[in-house]
Amino acid sequence: MNPELPEPAKAYGPAEVFDQNARRALVDPQLRSALRHLAVTFGQKRAQAISSVDDWEGLRERARAIKDQTLAQLDKYLEQFADNAARAGAQIHWAHDGHDVCRLIVQLLQERGATRVVKSKSMATEEIHLNAALEAAGIDTVETDLGEWIIQLARETPSHIVVPAIHKSKRQIAELFVAKLGIAPTDDVDKLTGAARRVLRQRFAEADAGISGVNFGVAETGSVLILENEGNIRLTTSLPKIHIALMGIEKVIPRLADLDVFLKLLPRSGTGQRLTAYQSVITGTRKSAADEGPEEVHIILMDNGRSRMLRNPVTRQSLACIRCGACLNACPVYQQIGGHAYGSVYPGPIGAVITPQLIGIGKASQLPYASSLCGACREVCPVKIDIPELLLHLRAQIAEGTALGQGQVEVPVKRKPLESFVFRLYAWAWSRPTLYEWGGRVLRLLQRPAVRDGRIGKIGGVMGKLMPPLGAWTAWRDARPLAPRSFRELWREGKVPPVSQPADSPRIATR
Amino acid sequence: MESFIKQGSDPKEHVTREPQTGHAAAQNNHARQAMLRSIREHLEASAPFDKVHAEGHAPQNSVRASGQITRTAVEAPAELFRQALEAVNGKCTIVTNETEAATSLRQAIELYQLKRIAVSDSPTIRHLLQQAGGNVTILEDAEAKTLFDCDAGVTGAQWGIAETGTLVLESKDERHRLVSLVPPVHIGIIPAGQIRRTMAEVLEAVSREGDLSRALTFITGPSRTSDIELTLAIGVHGPGKLHVIVIQEVEPTV
Repeated sequence: MNPELPEPAKAYGPAEVFDQNARRALVDPQLRSALRHLAVTFGQKRAQAISSVDDWEGLRERARAIKDQTLAQLDKYLEQFADNAARAGAQIHWAHDGHDVCRLIVQLLQERGATRVVKSKSMATEEIHLNAALEAAGIDTVETDLGEWIIQLARETPSHIVVPAIHKSKRQIAELFVAKLGIAPTDDVDKLTGAARRVLRQRFAEADAGISGVNFGVAETGSVLILENEGNIRLTTSLPKIHIALMGIEKVIPRLADLDVFLKLLPRSGTGQRLTAYQSVITGTRKSAADEGPEEVHIILMDNGRSRMLRNPVTRQSLACIRCGACLNACPVYQQIGGHAYGSVYPGPIGAVITPQLIGIGKASQLPYASSLCGACREVCPVKIDIPELLLHLRAQIAEGTALGQGQVEVPVKRKPLESFVFRLYAWAWSRPTLYEWGGRVLRLLQRPAVRDGRIGKIGGVMGKLMPPLGAWTAWRDARPLAPRSFRELWREGKVPPVSQPADSPRIATR
Repeated sequence: MESFIKQGSDPKEHVTREPQTGHAAAQNNHARQAMLRSIREHLEASAPFDKVHAEGHAPQNSVRASGQITRTAVEAPAELFRQALEAVNGKCTIVTNETEAATSLRQAIELYQLKRIAVSDSPTIRHLLQQAGGNVTILEDAEAKTLFDCDAGVTGAQWGIAETGTLVLESKDERHRLVSLVPPVHIGIIPAGQIRRTMAEVLEAVSREGDLSRALTFITGPSRTSDIELTLAIGVHGPGKLHVIVIQEVEPTV
């Protein structure tokens, strides 16, 4: 729209340079304060919302079981969904990848002479850079979700799955609105929201077509369900003559009754609400000219690397994701660096597992390491995705050089043969008692020059270079040295107090 | 009662569509087959891993009932509905009959200073609005464009969910998809007998007849956003005010 403006996600590079991105994010005080606010607010609201459900664990298991069953027979459910939706009057399109989706949508719009499009928030359209394709085809596209619209005005990319403009302060947004919309300067959120409402109402009234995403596709009825709070999705899907819904193939669920489970989980996990303000369940198109709603409903079923993830039950878990964003809010890494540093539309823990699978592990080989494996993401995930397990799986693929890239072609991954060798050696030696003991003695000797005041400080110089992981670890924190005498030695010398005598070791006794 | 919630649209002629033809259809079918083939191939290849993985990840108790809401319903559904709706910034008035409903509607008209009011095609709702009186212009069968200049939309609702204070709109029974959405104030009117306790009950009820509405809309409170610094702002795109009138007894429509 305004070519003089900087490119999206200006300051940040792609996933390949995650380390540089992260360093940049760490020195942005405004971002850090916004992220602290996010973690506290959403964390508290989520905890409060899930306390109103008495069997949260059972609900999560139920949801995961539904997802697992569906994914195990995805071909069957997808066909059922497509046939039922077509019977209800929707037109179904099958798209292998993002390129196909963009081509299909541009073609659909051009054939119908649609030049003005309203869009509601959809991560799937972000994933395939649909806006750029529409812009290139000369189609005037406006994002209508407030957060998405803010970042569209700023020519940036979303930094969070649920609240895309979380990285921007109220002041920055006000300045943006003053510059772009010519409003009077204000720091009143209601006034800013009101300005957005006025401008976007006009766009809704004029739009030829609406493009939305899909949260769930119901196989037994051919319905699509979309959740929201603002009302822009209802406007996008009911005012224009044409509605185009983009749906990743993993969004299908078997029965309408299953929605009950997901409608309890998703709002509580995402925004800490019992239910979002609106849910639209759209089944096909209107029956007669007297009915309300679009004349045409198109549903585009998009693969874009998803079917490949079915290949292994570990990677298949990624397809259970319902895009609630809870793992982002809970992640100590995301909380420090925000979404842009991941260099991908899907940030945070789930992004670190999805992105390498979508764009090829060679282009995102740092992301599986962007985690301390603390497990907070697994704790909060409403569909119990074992994200740490997935991260380890991807790390193993990188270290072994067995990673598959897009289209199942081996991509040049920067293999880590040394890491692989070191861990093999470690496993071999540490499973032999004699070697373990002697290894410990050797290490105690080696560490001696590095120990200062009972701890190992920054390891720089030649040692740091020789052992890069140790150098990196001690660059920001101290390491604990090995104890002067090992437990086994103390045991042999009879210096280990028996557990039944708690006097000398009260902490052990209380456990 | 029946007339209140059931007003099926007359079966007029079908809208003309342009289904895919010739080359495009063949191409689409090819894409469908290719995608399904890819899914099947990958699922088949994963079969040997499935067993190993399942052993470590067996759900501990997958047959447990799916999360019931803790709070026990001691109050009547209408009262629970009111509490839940007011907790999300909606307003709710419970009245005993249609005469009181008209009075309540009149009060709402004065409270929100409404001048131009759009109404759905429900005869009951239209009748109530006329009874309410006041110095207002009532727009029936308003075009989408006209709705942008209205102060309020008045509609019925086919179901309510007490647990969450949710209105459920079925498009096959009433023309209220846009009237409930475009104007800045939405007044929804529902008989207490249509309020169910849970979402599960309503999902079952709407699919009971087998013919699902083209648009099924769940509304819980006014439009809201927290996109700017997570600060709550009410009324961003949908109605900023939602007022629900629950009628305890519904008399037969005149």
